[in-house]
Order: sequence, then structure tokens, then C-alpha cells
Amino acid sequence: MRIDLEHRPALDLDTAEGVNEANIHVRLEGSVDWERVRALAPRVERFDIHFPKFADGRGFSIAARLREDIKFQGEVSASGHLIPDQARMLTRVGFDSVAPNSNPEDPAWKKGLTTFSEVYQPSNDRRSTALEKRTLAAKQALVDSLNKRLRGAPADEILREATRLFKGRIATLSSFGAEAGVSLHLVSQVAPDTPVLFLDTERHFDKTLKYRDQLSEHLGLTNIVNILPDADEAAEDDSDNRLWQRDTDACCDLRKVRPLDRALKGYDALITGRKRFHSATRMSLPPFELLDGVIRVNPLIDWDRDQVLSYFEEHDIPEHPMKAEGYPSIGCWPCTQPVAEGEDIRAGRWAGSEKTECGIHFSAKSKVA
Amino acid sequence: MYQYDEIDETLVRERVAEFRDQVKRRITGELSEDAFKPLRLQNGVYLQLHAYMLRVAIPYGTLSADQMQALGEIARDYDRGYGHFTTRQNIQYNWPRLVDIPDILDKLAGVGMHAIQTSGNCVRNTTTDPYAGAAADEVADPRPWCELIRQWSTFHPEFSFLPRKFKIAVVASKADRAAIQVHDIGLRLKTNAAGALGFEVFAGGGQGRTPRLAVKLNDYVIAEDLLAYITAILRVYNLAGRRDNKYKARIKILVEETGPEAFTAEVEAEFAKLQGGDLTLPAEEIARVSNFFTPPPVETRGFDLKAQSQAFQIWAERSVKAHKTEGWASVLISLKPVGKVPGDATAEQIFAMAEIARQYGLNELRVTKEQNIVLPHIPQADLPAVYEALRAANLHADNGGLVTDIISCPGLDYCNLANARSIPIAQAISNRLSETGLDREAGELTLNISGCINACGHHHIANIGLLGVDKRGEEFYQLTLGGAANENAAIGRIVGPGLSGEQVPQAIEDVVRTFIAHRQDGESFNTTLARIGLDPFKEAVYAH
Repeated sequence: MRIDLEHRPALDLDTAEGVNEANIHVRLEGSVDWERVRALAPRVERFDIHFPKFADGRGFSIAARLREDIKFQGEVSASGHLIPDQARMLTRVGFDSVAPNSNPEDPAWKKGLTTFSEVYQPSNDRRSTALEKRTLAAKQALVDSLNKRLRGAPADEILREATRLFKGRIATLSSFGAEAGVSLHLVSQVAPDTPVLFLDTERHFDKTLKYRDQLSEHLGLTNIVNILPDADEAAEDDSDNRLWQRDTDACCDLRKVRPLDRALKGYDALITGRKRFHSATRMSLPPFELLDGVIRVNPLIDWDRDQVLSYFEEHDIPEHPMKAEGYPSIGCWPCTQPVAEGEDIRAGRWAGSEKTECGIHFSAKSKVA
Repeated sequence: MYQYDEIDETLVRERVAEFRDQVKRRITGELSEDAFKPLRLQNGVYLQLHAYMLRVAIPYGTLSADQMQALGEIARDYDRGYGHFTTRQNIQYNWPRLVDIPDILDKLAGVGMHAIQTSGNCVRNTTTDPYAGAAADEVADPRPWCELIRQWSTFHPEFSFLPRKFKIAVVASKADRAAIQVHDIGLRLKTNAAGALGFEVFAGGGQGRTPRLAVKLNDYVIAEDLLAYITAILRVYNLAGRRDNKYKARIKILVEETGPEAFTAEVEAEFAKLQGGDLTLPAEEIARVSNFFTPPPVETRGFDLKAQSQAFQIWAERSVKAHKTEGWASVLISLKPVGKVPGDATAEQIFAMAEIARQYGLNELRVTKEQNIVLPHIPQADLPAVYEALRAANLHADNGGLVTDIISCPGLDYCNLANARSIPIAQAISNRLSETGLDREAGELTLNISGCINACGHHHIANIGLLGVDKRGEEFYQLTLGGAANENAAIGRIVGPGLSGEQVPQAIEDVVRTFIAHRQDGESFNTTLARIGLDPFKEAVYAH
């Protein structure tokens, strides 16, 4: 948060409503009429929240509402009678700057921003809270102990333990691609009511969609969850349905990463079908890993290509029709090609580019902003 | 008991460092008293009649033996050899020097304690049932939730400058031993049909000059949404609570002026926006905090009450409480020996209680809102030894729950708000009622005294209440009857004209005698009063 020496003027709400301009600066104080603020917000560059007395803490809730309800992205400034001890509170609830009406040069203002190195409450500064840190630590400890116990264990044992531990809070992710039959068959044996999340990118091969319906019926899976991209986001980012041509990363983000992030809000753990032999990027995978607060369960991690093939045969699992056509890994139609003999199994995905993964198995923190 | 992790410890240490700097600036004159006031006020430091007063938080009234020991050492080293336990389960020191307060806070930090938010217009210490974790009738131990509230409320960025102070109380049983209906937010832990924990939520209760009982906002809020729900209440209050008049600034006035239905609707609308967000309590954190609060294992050593001395049996009748685990009991230590200052304990007594807890009581103690101490977990077989140890420290008063177990504020002897003295009145009443034997004859009966309308002595919610008022420079006392702080919470009604300090002991004796004369088999005071009305009491009191 910036400490301003000078207070910048702003219009009161009545005046602002009469001015027919964009990028205006508007002052709020006392009891706020939220319907008027909401209507005005798109034209506002800065809201200045005035504190008549430091003890009048309404401004903190006003700022919180601007950020949380109105989703105001512009500048929120504080002015008026404030004391340096309030600096940390201002910055936490979502203020960008403060222009105190006395002693803005007081070094206590700057110092106040760094008084505390930890925070308890989630707030609009998005600092990582004690709650988050402890929860992550608890989950990481669980993951570590599971890996210690189950590294190298048979797939069905890993799956059985995971579905027991996370009962009601675990789902399977499936692309209904060339190898999907294995993990889905295992799930159908262990816990057939486990939700199976299918990211319907609206860019799948028709054969994949048909296979999805055929295979789930064959295996008796009762809970297939079709996850579509957000319609508003799709209209905004991909209005011409050509995003995949311009920017494959953005397309994966719109159609896979963000929809999965949203869907995962309801789950503690997610079963994947990833295997080490798929690619160099998957070589170091353990059976359990923590990714953005969700535990990924990779029961097939040790499997090689031959095991996959013989499992299909042994259990008489229907195959994806495109597998016989030379597609060992199947994604969306614009970005999937057949693979030649001896090539990497995922070589046909985003062929001809550096891209090897869509991003759903990456941490949000590693994503390019 | 909850143990600080690195995060908790860091925050408390950083607050001490900040306050040390603020005190230094005050002492060098860099900060004026006016500028210092808002800083000290969020850290429990008040300027009283004679000196600064320091109020130390005892979160939900739970103390370890080591913490109790430290409180005694502070009383010995920095005060005049005693501490005063308060109605909000805290402790106050009336004579610390300002220059020593940072060292006191350092010492507290060393045992995982602090004075954060024990004053100021912020969320104060959360209080609960002093028998939490031991009471047989509780749904679950309420203290994990109190601790989660403590952390959520500590240095809250949005709610540190509320219209007025804000108090939350939590109970976990039908019986209300935390007076939730006279708190800004009252929470009752319960289970739904599926057995999942949740809270019945009340708001808008309070005492002071406008006593009000809380209204119910929601019959069941699932436990993981606790912080989202109370955030919704606080946000509505922070935005709309009155700031034009200090005496109308508590949430009770907002609830009343908005109307309970409209207020509830506003809270529910705010909650709908917050539910499912970052405030949702993760199962991992609930489990982590809950694991600190586990009941003791079954005790197999036997105990025969009848084989004990008569003095022990009289004491035990008032002081030993049933425990949820076989072979255990809870012990109430009355800090109201006849004729002494209610709630005060000397450093030596504090050490003795710490040592008893260490030796017999799983290292744990509680402070009650009646300003007494509880040893929550004592093996029944050790009760005689505990009694002897209490006797040796002069802590064996056997009047817990009787009319001489008086709640009293410090009154005019210490407080610059008071109109009248409370402590000498409490002493005179307690002498009179114990000399006549009326206290034991009357049985369970509550009597509370406040030295002014701020009602720190909880006079509104006592069966017998006394309020000190100033009439042209003279101290008078207004008598109220029929208040209650339990699950049948009620505000007492004024009986008649104010009484002088000299008249008070006789008037109280008259009230108690009238009760004894009229009660029918085992009736409580308020049941008798409801049946016969105020008149018989009025006649008895004003006949003299």
C-alpha cells in the first residue's frame, strides 16, 4: 500500500452520477447506498473512502464490500483521520493507498505495514493465512505418509485406500482416451459410484464422446460428470471458435484448466490415470501428490505399456476406436495426431510445438500469468 | 489444552515488540496520552483512578498450571501481590507501572498468553462453560470452536474499529453456563438429525444501561460455516451499527432498531455471499484444534464420600461437580470467602491453585464468569487431598453457588466510571447472610453488584441485583429481582426506590427471608417470584 502525502480530490456520489465521464474518482463515506455504487462502479477509476475519525471503522467494511461484492478492480484509497496502526488493516482489506490527514511522513506508517509476519484471516490482500498454511501442512504430511506406505503398491490397493480415506470427497478424472479403460475398470471394481469427471472441451472427437457413453455403461459406472467450459468465458475468449489456432495454451486454460479448478472445489482428492512411461515430465511422479490443495492419486504410476495392453485383454475392456487408427494418446481433435511406430506415446499431442501437457496437472503457481 | 504453534507464537511476540515500542514512545513523550490511548486500548491497558490497569486474556477461561503460575508471578513481581479474576473469565492487575507492562507481556508470551483485544471496540475474549470438556451434558467440547474464533478475531483487519466492544459466548449444552443470551453473539453447539455439529446462533444480547436478551438468528449453521456466519453478523453491524451515541452503539440497539426479522435477513444475505468461500473451516484445521482437547481416561481408584470428614462433606456439597468420565470430578474454588473482595486471589493462592492443578488436576484450571476458579479434572480419589491443599491456602470457602458467592465489579474503589462502591457492599452482605446462616438455608441463589449502569457486575441477570447510583453526591443502590443468566435468561425488575449503603444488608436479608418463607418444595428464586410477584418482597424491604 502506498502512503500518499497529498490527498487527491474525488467527487461525491451525487456529483459523480451527474457527470457523464469514465475513469472518475468518487468519494464514499458513512452509510453507503450499494445499489448506486454498483451502478456507478464501471465508470470509476478510484474510490476514495473517507474516515471521519480513526475510530469509525466503517471504511474497512466498505472497502471489503467494494472488493468482494462489487468486484471493483480499480484503485481504492483511504483518506481522513487515520492512525499508523491502521496501515496493516487498510492494506489487508483491499486499500491500494492512504492519504492520512495528519503526519503522513510519520515512519510509523511504513513500519505498520510489516508489524506482523503472519495473518489469521483470509482477506483481500490474498496473503496466505495460518488456516491455509496449516491445512496444506496437514495434507502434505498425509501425502508423505501415504507415499511412504504405498509407493510401489498394486494399483487396486492404492485405489482402495484412497477411496476409503477420502470417501465422498474423491473423484476420478478421465479423458476417455486410449488408456482410460484401465483406471476406470479399476474404479468400477473398487468404488463404482465414484464421480468420473470428464472435461468436455467441446473439441473432442465424436468417437471419444461415443466411447465415453459405451465404456461407462459397460463398466457400470454410475456417476459421470460432464464438465463444460464456462459459457461467458468461452464467449469472451473464444468467440470465433478458433482460439486453438491462435493460442493453444489459452484454449487449454479456458476449456480444461479453469473448468477443472472450479469442479475440484468440492473434492479433497482426484484419481488420475497418469503413468511414468508417458513422458519425461511424468518420470518422477509418486502415487500421491499435493497440487494446489487437492491430493492427486496416481494408482497406475508404475505401469508400463505392456501392462496396460494385457489389462485390456485380460478384462475384455472395449477399446477406443481410434487406438487402432494409430492414436495412442487422444485429446481434442485440433491438437491430436496419430503417432508413428517407436515414437513417444504422447508425441501426437500438440505435435510440432513445445507444449506437452495441457496444464491440468500443474500447480496454479507455476502457470504463466 | 491448545498449544501455540510457530504462527501463534510469532504473532504474539510481534505484538509485544510493537507495544514495547509504543510504550517507549509514550514514556519519552514522543506520543501524547491522547495519541497513546487508542494504541493501549487495543492491548488491555486502561487508565484507572489511581494507575494503569492491565487486563490479561484467558481465552475461554482455560489455563494451564504453568500459565496460572505465571499469573501469580506477575501479581507478586509487578502488582501488589494479588490479581482480580473478572466476569469475562480474564484477570486484571490494578497496579502495574506502565514501564513494566512490556515485560509483563513478554512473560505472558512465554507461556502462550497475551492481552490482545481485552479492551477497545473490537472482538473481545470468547467465553464459554467453565466445565467444558468435563460436563456430562455437553454435545461436544465447545473450546475448539472458541479457539478458532480467537484466531479469526485476533488482529481482524475489518473488525478492529467497531461501533462498540463485541463479546461472543459459546455453550455446548441445553443448560447455559456462559450466559449466551446477554452476549453480542451467543452460540449453542448442537447436532442436526444426521449428527453433524453446528450452531444455534443468537445476537443482540447485552447488559449495560439497556439490558436486552439476544434474539435467535438461525437455528442451525453447520460448524464449518461458523466463521462465515459470524463474519456476516460483524459486517452488517460494522456498517450499520450506530456511531452517533456511545450508549446506543452496541449491536443490541441495531437489532432492536432494525427489527429482529429485518436484521436476520440482512445477516443471511451477507452469509449467502460468504458461504463456501475462504472462511469455510477446513476439516484438517478443525481436527488439528480439536485434538488438543481430549477428555481424561477412566479413573479406576475408588472413593467413598461418607468416609470423609463433615467439613469435607459440607465443602463438597457446594464445590464438587459431576464429571463426564467415570471416576473424575470437577472442583469449584470459591474466590468469595465471607467478607473478602470477590474475585481477588493473592499471588500465594494463585501459586497454590497452579500446584494443585499440576499435582492432581491434569495441569488444567478454568476461570468462571462468577469470578471463581474451577479444577475441571480431579480424580475422585484425590478429592480429600485437594481439599486439604485448598484449606492450607485458605481457598476452601464452601459457598459456591450460594447467595454469598457474589459477582461484583471493582466499583468506586478502583474504577473511574463507578457511581458507588461495590466491594464494601458485597462484604457487608456476605457477612450478614453467613452470620445468620441464611445463605446455606436459601441454597442456590445469585446476587450481583454493579457500581454503575455499565453493569460490569452483571446485576441485571442476578436473582438479586444491586446497582450503584449517584444521587446528589450520595451513593444509593437500586434493587432488582428476577434476573437470570442461565437457559431461562431474564432481566431483573426494579423493586422500588434506591437504598442507602447502610440499608442494603438488611434489605437483602429481607429478600432472602421472604424467598425462604414462600418457596415451595425445591423451587428456584425466580419460580417463587413468578408465582407470588414482587409485592411480598417490596413490602418486606420497605417495611424497615
